[in-house]
Amino acid sequence: MIRDITIGQYLSGTSFMHKLDARVKIVCTFAYIITIFLCKNFWSLGLMVAFAALMTLLSRVPVRMLLRSLRPVAFILLFTAVLNLFYTKTGNVLFQWKFLMLTDKGLFTAIFMAVRILSLVSVSALLTYTTTPTALTDGIEKLLSPLKLIKVPVHSLAMMMTLALRFIPTLIEEIDRIMSAQKARGADLETGGFIQRAKALLPILIPLFVSAFRRAYELAFAMECRCYRGGEGRTRMKQMKLGVRDAVTAVAFVALIAGVVLLSRFFPAVI
Amino acid sequence: MAVLEVRALSHSYGAKTQLQVRAVNNVSLRVEAGELLGVIGHTGSGKSTLIQHFNGLLTPSAGEVLLDGENIFKDKQTTHAARFRVGLCFQYPEYQLFEETVYKDIAFGPRNMKLADDEIDRRVRKAAQFVGLPDALLNKSPFDLSGGEKRRAAIAGVMAMEPEILVLDEPTAGLDPKGRDTILNLVENYRKETGSTVILVSHSMEDIARLATKALVMNRGEAALFGTVDEVFSQGEKLVSMGLDVPAVTRIFLSLHARGVPVRTDVYTTEQATAEYLRLLGKGARV
Repeated sequence: MIRDITIGQYLSGTSFMHKLDARVKIVCTFAYIITIFLCKNFWSLGLMVAFAALMTLLSRVPVRMLLRSLRPVAFILLFTAVLNLFYTKTGNVLFQWKFLMLTDKGLFTAIFMAVRILSLVSVSALLTYTTTPTALTDGIEKLLSPLKLIKVPVHSLAMMMTLALRFIPTLIEEIDRIMSAQKARGADLETGGFIQRAKALLPILIPLFVSAFRRAYELAFAMECRCYRGGEGRTRMKQMKLGVRDAVTAVAFVALIAGVVLLSRFFPAVI
Repeated sequence: MAVLEVRALSHSYGAKTQLQVRAVNNVSLRVEAGELLGVIGHTGSGKSTLIQHFNGLLTPSAGEVLLDGENIFKDKQTTHAARFRVGLCFQYPEYQLFEETVYKDIAFGPRNMKLADDEIDRRVRKAAQFVGLPDALLNKSPFDLSGGEKRRAAIAGVMAMEPEILVLDEPTAGLDPKGRDTILNLVENYRKETGSTVILVSHSMEDIARLATKALVMNRGEAALFGTVDEVFSQGEKLVSMGLDVPAVTRIFLSLHARGVPVRTDVYTTEQATAEYLRLLGKGARV
């Protein structure tokens, strides 16, 4: 089950999306997520979905991989959809059975919420699938660099994020190993009530934390041995440069937002 | 009857994806009670994957594992019971220590077996004695022990379950020669005193040559060689061709043989080497 986590996973490639500047991708992803919540009718929503499909096409990420990133949110998706379906009491009644009432507005809201969550998750997954963790944190560092003026330790934050991402697979492997070792000593992780199960986690969590701290110390020593002193005066081997590709993407996104605003104005809202 | 029998066992990781890896492929073996089986092979040869089937931690993709003639994957209870019948001690076992005291940590396995308190106490003390941990250390935190002591405490944690078969995955990895000898001696003593079967995974041919009665050589997930230590080590050239490090004396006799000296090539201990050397001298051959 632990191996299904796709957060922060990167799929190497050379597509249009892969070559985009990380800063552009981050800003556009945020813009996309905000815009999708501005959509109030099917025309604008359709435009957003079409745009997401176009991005997927340009990224050459297999649809199967994208679907896999949606698996963890499947429950939330179903839950919000069902909730919206039956809790909206306004609009024309389509169907009624005892206390269950389904209105057209409820149906639309459910569809909108589902589509929003789906595109939100897949667009963010697209970002991590096409951007290496290093490029991602470099991008965030650059984007947040104005905050240095108000003494926010932007470089340290970015470095922390890079390291955290780097150690996710290592720690997953470690958990696997510790779990096997404790199971071999008869640790029972599957049965029992909530309290019992929480207690059964201790033999896994304690060694995990011990080894995480050990790794942290080792890493800190290794960094100091290579004269790491934080971001002060640090230069980069890979300079980030914006190109034609990035300009095209930015223009396309401005057009997308303008399109959504216009469509929302000309067609009536359904939710 | 064989205490442990493995029949045509295969295991694939990541089944049904493009990343499918056949870690173990069609391995069969038999271990009689009281034997010491040495498992040798490269990193990634499938040794660790194989041994995790012996106590039911991994389920085979094909084939079966029999303990005293009974398939351990027959039903859930049998699989669970196999965890206590086959004690598996992983590589770097010191990283599994977690309790407040060494005593409690060694008692973790027996406690999971739901044994009575006095039985647990007896087992913990006996296991600690086997690995040479003095009573004074039992009430210390396992995190305050030295590296070698931690390793021995962790091994005691598996021994305290008093398994019929003790499986040790590279128990000497990362230890200095003295620590290595301590561990190997205690494994040998444990086997002699309790009469239990031991399976020792190692990539040191010298260790296997010294302790084992039978040897299994794993190569790319397959059982390349399996038999008594004499049978396996007599195929020195085959071992070298698999990139395995044969004992230094075997290497010497192999190269002597290659230079036309009429020596046996199945020599793997210093005693055998001395005997063979003396035989040659007696015959008056020029070495």
